[in-house]
Amino acid sequence: MSGIARAKWLLAAPVGAMVFGFFMVPYLNIVVMSLRQPSTTQAYGPGFTTDNFVKAATDPLYVVTLLDTLRLAAMITLITLALAYPVAFHLARTESRWRGVLYGLVLSPLLVGVVIRTFGWIILLANNGLINQAMRQLDLPRLQLMYNEFGVVLALVHIFLPFMVLPLMGAIQGIDPRLEEAARSLGADKRRVFLRVLLPLSMPGIQSGCILVFVLACGAYVTPLLLGAGRVHTTTTVVVHQLELFLWPFGAALALVLSLVGLMVVWLYARLSGRVLRGQS
Amino acid sequence: MTQLRIAGLEKRFGEVAAVRGVDLEVAEGELVSLLGPSGCGKTTTLRCVAGFEQPSGGRIAFDGTDVVPLPPEKRDIGMVFQNYALFPHMTVRENLGFGPEMRGIGAAARAKKVADVLAMVQLVGYEERYPRQLSGGQQQRVALARALVIEPKLLLLDEPLANLDAKLRDEMRFFIRSLQRRVGITTLYVTHDQAEAMVMSDRIVVMFEGRIHQIGSAEDVYDRPATRAVSNFIGQSNLLDGRVAGGGNGRWRIDTAMGPVSCGSGFAPAVGDRASAMIRPEAIELHANKTDAGCFPGRIESRYFLGNLAEFRVRMSDGSLLIVQQPAHAAHAVGAEIGVRLPAERAWLVREDVA
Amino acid sequence: MKLWRGLFGGLIGAVYVFLMLPIAIVVMASFNSTRALRFPPEGFSLRWYVAFFESEPFMESFRLSLVLGVAATVASVLIGTPAALYYVRFAGRWREAFRLYVLAPLLLPEILTAIALLFFYYQIGIGTKSVAGLFIGHVVVCIPFVFLQVTASLYNLSPSLEEAARSLGASPWMTFLRITLPLIKPGVINGALFAFIISFDNVSISLLLKGIGSTPLPMQLFDYLRWGFDPTTAAASVVSILMTLGAVVLVDRLVGLRAMRF
Repeated sequence: MSGIARAKWLLAAPVGAMVFGFFMVPYLNIVVMSLRQPSTTQAYGPGFTTDNFVKAATDPLYVVTLLDTLRLAAMITLITLALAYPVAFHLARTESRWRGVLYGLVLSPLLVGVVIRTFGWIILLANNGLINQAMRQLDLPRLQLMYNEFGVVLALVHIFLPFMVLPLMGAIQGIDPRLEEAARSLGADKRRVFLRVLLPLSMPGIQSGCILVFVLACGAYVTPLLLGAGRVHTTTTVVVHQLELFLWPFGAALALVLSLVGLMVVWLYARLSGRVLRGQS
Repeated sequence: MTQLRIAGLEKRFGEVAAVRGVDLEVAEGELVSLLGPSGCGKTTTLRCVAGFEQPSGGRIAFDGTDVVPLPPEKRDIGMVFQNYALFPHMTVRENLGFGPEMRGIGAAARAKKVADVLAMVQLVGYEERYPRQLSGGQQQRVALARALVIEPKLLLLDEPLANLDAKLRDEMRFFIRSLQRRVGITTLYVTHDQAEAMVMSDRIVVMFEGRIHQIGSAEDVYDRPATRAVSNFIGQSNLLDGRVAGGGNGRWRIDTAMGPVSCGSGFAPAVGDRASAMIRPEAIELHANKTDAGCFPGRIESRYFLGNLAEFRVRMSDGSLLIVQQPAHAAHAVGAEIGVRLPAERAWLVREDVA
Repeated sequence: MKLWRGLFGGLIGAVYVFLMLPIAIVVMASFNSTRALRFPPEGFSLRWYVAFFESEPFMESFRLSLVLGVAATVASVLIGTPAALYYVRFAGRWREAFRLYVLAPLLLPEILTAIALLFFYYQIGIGTKSVAGLFIGHVVVCIPFVFLQVTASLYNLSPSLEEAARSLGASPWMTFLRITLPLIKPGVINGALFAFIISFDNVSISLLLKGIGSTPLPMQLFDYLRWGFDPTTAAASVVSILMTLGAVVLVDRLVGLRAMRF
């Protein structure tokens, strides 16, 4: 028996060591780093301080950026949900023979790197991009589609859409179609079937999809950088900028504040939507 | 051939006691069924014998040798699983050859064994098929063949017929039983289907909540159930509760709400004890005249035609309801006042629980 | 009624167009004969592909991405598969904690993981001097995908198959080799596919951990896009898409594709 017990641990050992050594320890190290004194000549100075956190949480510049990041993430989450729900519903319920193809179409963006997808949007949205060329040919004024929040939100919605469709589809597929028939037989019209039966029962999918997209949106970096081009600031771009300025302790504190606030928003949302879920059962 | 002995077997999963002191001996070549509702511990007992569960206490011996310390692959058992557990990535031939291969039997001898066992289960010609290309009944026979090809000491079957449709299940009962007789292998058979257990077994072990309530032949467990639970689980039964009024020599009188009822018993109860008399629906006699000797008065409340039988619900004077089965065309109308006789030789005293 | 159905269908159609639009645009740009893409396209040309294959920095990045992708895939399969086995078959009381532990790199933003690793490497003194640091970063973010896929296929594997093998005389090791491994192979291969795609397309980790002179392809694209527009990047993008598409088709042919469940 002891031989088998030892073999069991050997299975978990590689992942245990890898995640501990190159994930847990580095993250703990961020915490330590965030409490270091800043220094201009080396990575950090001697001694510890909480000044970095005070600065990250009170300096209006960073607070505004943080609030902007959360606002953008929430906006992206809502738009993604609105676009993903009809698609997920259609995919979950359709009996079309194109179902497989459509499913592949929804997932295919996942196979194309974020940089490449962002690149596609740049070609379309740039000041001399395809859309503005068309505007010019029609003698219409040029539209500012990039280097602003519009472009960033558009591209991020595109990137996160599959992450919303998947959990929604799972939840909707889990709803017995006979429940819809039962509601219809009891006299509910389509609108009320949706509001009273489908929507409440797909809440778990909505919840996990929203949390996933919100967290991903808070951590997005490449797209805001390329499409915002220094005019849209999110906390991630500001954090990486601190690294480039070699302000590591402050960058670390800022990253931690973002993670904590993000987690708090998710927790609050899970609590609220959890209450809604419980209220129905 | 092998004799199996289980003594004081216990198995706990955390707080839950799945098997609570099972004692059982299976003689060489005997087929014994473990029968009971789901969660009664029958499958856990089987899995302890197979070596997939480590007992929390007790002994399991094959021919007197303790096998508890041995892993499953060292126990020399053949097992048939409920879902057959045929290896989906191997053909029938490879599935059947796997056991002999693990035993280091050479290719030529292995081919001979596989051919022999295929003939035995009447599946010659199916060697190159994959399990998914076989019907349920064929998969079942491959699973049986795979367990037998290694000529194990002991054959263990875990609800092997549960996934088959009713007609095939009937055929397979007789097929397995005759094969087991022919090979003469000691067999432990787990099922929740009483008819299956009755058709197939030399002896039936009836289990509830981790304990054995009765070990006996099909006639024993049906006509002379040891406990209330056994009488309820096997077939339909009428239970008349009361107190022991007197008797002796295996014949006792119970005072029930309906009146005194005579019954047989396998043990000696104390006078005044709470007890129940059990009588099967088909053992009850209905008399057109309710004043016939030895009859209790009753009224037919409903009648159902079951094809080979007619079933009546009879309301007795104390308000209790008896289920009575008569030949299909017994002519008692609903609402009729009738006499109900409970033949003493067919009534049986049952305990509340195992002693 | 009909109007609503039409609107609903139109909305769904619009979302599909939206999903494919930027990718289609990049493909068009890569075959366009002039530097700036116009609509309708002015001519068909493969010149940007020629430019890509003749560009030393791009080719070097392409090779690095391939090698890195394959190495990270092999490593994460070797680490993630036993972890999934442990989780499904053996993990006891700490089951859910273990799952969370393995999936943690998936649950936290990659850019933060990259920052954490960057600080850590500098403090233990390896900095970004070695490609090993980049490789480890990729492995860490790839493991969860292998773990999820193999876990799913283990759940679909009835334990009674392994028990049947044991009852027939196979040792635990033999059972793993002859029964478990062949039957979870599709999950392992699908996990490997995801790991490869994640590594091959990764930007966040590579952005901070790439060393001097070792720039993976997505990073090379990133740098080109940051400082201007060059249709060679479109050609490079299409080649990169074809690589992942090729891997997907290969896996589909081998064992069939499986969706990732989060």
